[in-house]
Amino acid sequence: MEINFIDLTLGNVALLFVIGFVGGLVSGFIGSGGAFVLTPAMMNLGVTAIMAVASNMAHKFPKAFVGAMKRHKFGQVDIKLGIVLGISAEAGVLYGAGVQETIREVFGKAGSNLYVSTVFVVVLAIVGGYVLRDAYKMFHSANPDEEKTTKLAKWVQSVNIPGTMMYFKSIDAKISILFTIPIGFATGMLAATIAVGGFIGVPAMMYVLGVPGLIASATELVIAFIMGMGGTIKFAWAGYVDIRLAMIILAGSLFGVQLGAIGTTYVKPYTVKIVMGVIMMLALLSRAIVIPVYLSELGQIQPLAADTMSLLQDWSFGVLLFALAAGATIVFRALIKGMGEHRAKLAAENAEPGTFSTATEPRQLSPVGRMERIMLVSDGSEYAESAVTEAIRLAKRCQANLYAFSVLATPDFESPLGQNLHELDKKAMVDNLLKVRAQAEAEGVSCEILLGHGEDPYTEIIDQAEVSAMDMIVMGRRDKSDLLRSMMGGTTAKVIGHTHSDVLVVPRHGKTEGKGIVLPVDGSRNSEAAAATVVNLAKRCPVQVTLVSVAIDPRLKEDAQSNADGIGRLMTEAGIAVAIEVRTGTPDGEIIACARERGADLIVMGSHGRTGLDRLLVGSVSERVIGQAECPVLIVKL
Amino acid sequence: MSVERNRALKKTLIYALLSGGLYYLLYHFEASILELSKQGRWYFIVPLTIAFVFSIVHGNFTGQFWELFGIRAKTTKK
Repeated sequence: MEINFIDLTLGNVALLFVIGFVGGLVSGFIGSGGAFVLTPAMMNLGVTAIMAVASNMAHKFPKAFVGAMKRHKFGQVDIKLGIVLGISAEAGVLYGAGVQETIREVFGKAGSNLYVSTVFVVVLAIVGGYVLRDAYKMFHSANPDEEKTTKLAKWVQSVNIPGTMMYFKSIDAKISILFTIPIGFATGMLAATIAVGGFIGVPAMMYVLGVPGLIASATELVIAFIMGMGGTIKFAWAGYVDIRLAMIILAGSLFGVQLGAIGTTYVKPYTVKIVMGVIMMLALLSRAIVIPVYLSELGQIQPLAADTMSLLQDWSFGVLLFALAAGATIVFRALIKGMGEHRAKLAAENAEPGTFSTATEPRQLSPVGRMERIMLVSDGSEYAESAVTEAIRLAKRCQANLYAFSVLATPDFESPLGQNLHELDKKAMVDNLLKVRAQAEAEGVSCEILLGHGEDPYTEIIDQAEVSAMDMIVMGRRDKSDLLRSMMGGTTAKVIGHTHSDVLVVPRHGKTEGKGIVLPVDGSRNSEAAAATVVNLAKRCPVQVTLVSVAIDPRLKEDAQSNADGIGRLMTEAGIAVAIEVRTGTPDGEIIACARERGADLIVMGSHGRTGLDRLLVGSVSERVIGQAECPVLIVKL
Repeated sequence: MSVERNRALKKTLIYALLSGGLYYLLYHFEASILELSKQGRWYFIVPLTIAFVFSIVHGNFTGQFWELFGIRAKTTKK
């Protein structure tokens, strides 16, 4: 067959782009179904049938790829199931194409068309009718979110044929591949015959295997990807692919597929079934309209007039377009409604902003060393235990108010598989906060508790400390052996880098009993701020203070000495006796050594608050001290 | 928040440029690409590679595009 490429006009491009977009929207939502309009649409533009099919395939697999990746992010794809079904579907495609070839040879073009249309009508009537009935029942049930496993699926899951069993996470059960192979095969055969395999693949996954609707439609995208790529290779091998057409359709369909995939996170499971059922029924109608044409061509009925035949064919195509438009409309409506409801819900929940109560009395002007509001950050882990004890003790000693805060790292997206886990985490966090409050109240310290939600815990902590005007944040830290965490910069390091409040980092088993404070100085303003805090602390609770200044080179010892002397003099003037130590070596190592030798149980440091690239390149002495210190470290922010 | 938005805008623009560039190349080398893919057999690699590259670049652009308009998947943030 000769291969001719059509000339592209602006009108053609725009039409393909729009149909691509609508088709993509539907595919992203129900896993398939967008492609069946494209082949006839391209043929209307003058593309030969085989090249229209080939180019459609070449746009389908990258679209399915993007859709599957997107929905995988939402935790909706069972990749293993998709691959297993996809491989057998590929076999089905080849077999289905062969069957169609044979029918065409035996019964001619009209016979082949009649075969396709009859398959379409019978399959869609049975499956589409069942899908719609199921959606209707779910909609009217007491709990529309709940998808019931069919008796057939329960039976399939209960059958054990040794040597053929395979575990699938989407159903949390082992299923014999003797069931999955025919399903994949039928999907492929239908895809080869009517261009939309998903009309059988998705319902089969739902009702025969017991896969939830959302996961079935997402997994179908994996099957479509495998089938589409196989088909593209087959057609491209013969040179039939017009990649321009495919990429123009793709330009529109990727906008659609992203939107359709996003839509699935807002809707109830029955919406997917409604969209699928409606499209299937309309597609059925479209095919049924043209059956008389083929019967007439085969001489089975009274021959129809040429005008009537062409009218019926136009109607058929019109209904097909309407099917796609109807599907897209439902998806759009569901998306807009779902997003609106979700935003309203968020707004309602935020009406009472999730913050701690604010200070009632006017506060002193100078913030240095103030200790009225202490925020304890606890993740409920063993690493935070010492931080809890220290924070309560500190609040009691300073007569400060304690505010316990936890952040529940929410999954990025609403995942049908991850939801239960999230609820369990939430309960554990709340229980932990209640425990902390009880512990504080037992010590006579008033304690407010708050659970925050966010994708990045550190930003929630920083925001909360800022909004609630906290004087100090008390946090635990992971063990230093957790190398990866320290390299990546844990939550504690990020909080220190960004917050304006002072941060007390308490290592596991670390406690402050007033044995001594080590104050490292480097001549910067940060040291002065730290010194002011130490003066404040020492006035409240007499304690031995050691000023340590570290020279990285013996030649710089003089500078280090003068730095220490300067701060020492200021502190003495403020009425605090200090011991001065000047050391040579690496700053963090020497500071830790000094604290250990002096038996100090608190290190107070000023922080440069380096962030981003700067921190990565220069590193931060305070961060390294925090990572290695056996006693709590107080980071004073300017 | 505005920093995040700026970053999203920057990302979207970069992908938009890349995607636009790819479509321009496809348009510019239309004749030679069609000539190659028409030959079939091992030249099937040509349309296949084009499809993959476009899906990654244009896919990222479209994802970012909706994100920029605040159309993103439902989060459980409460």
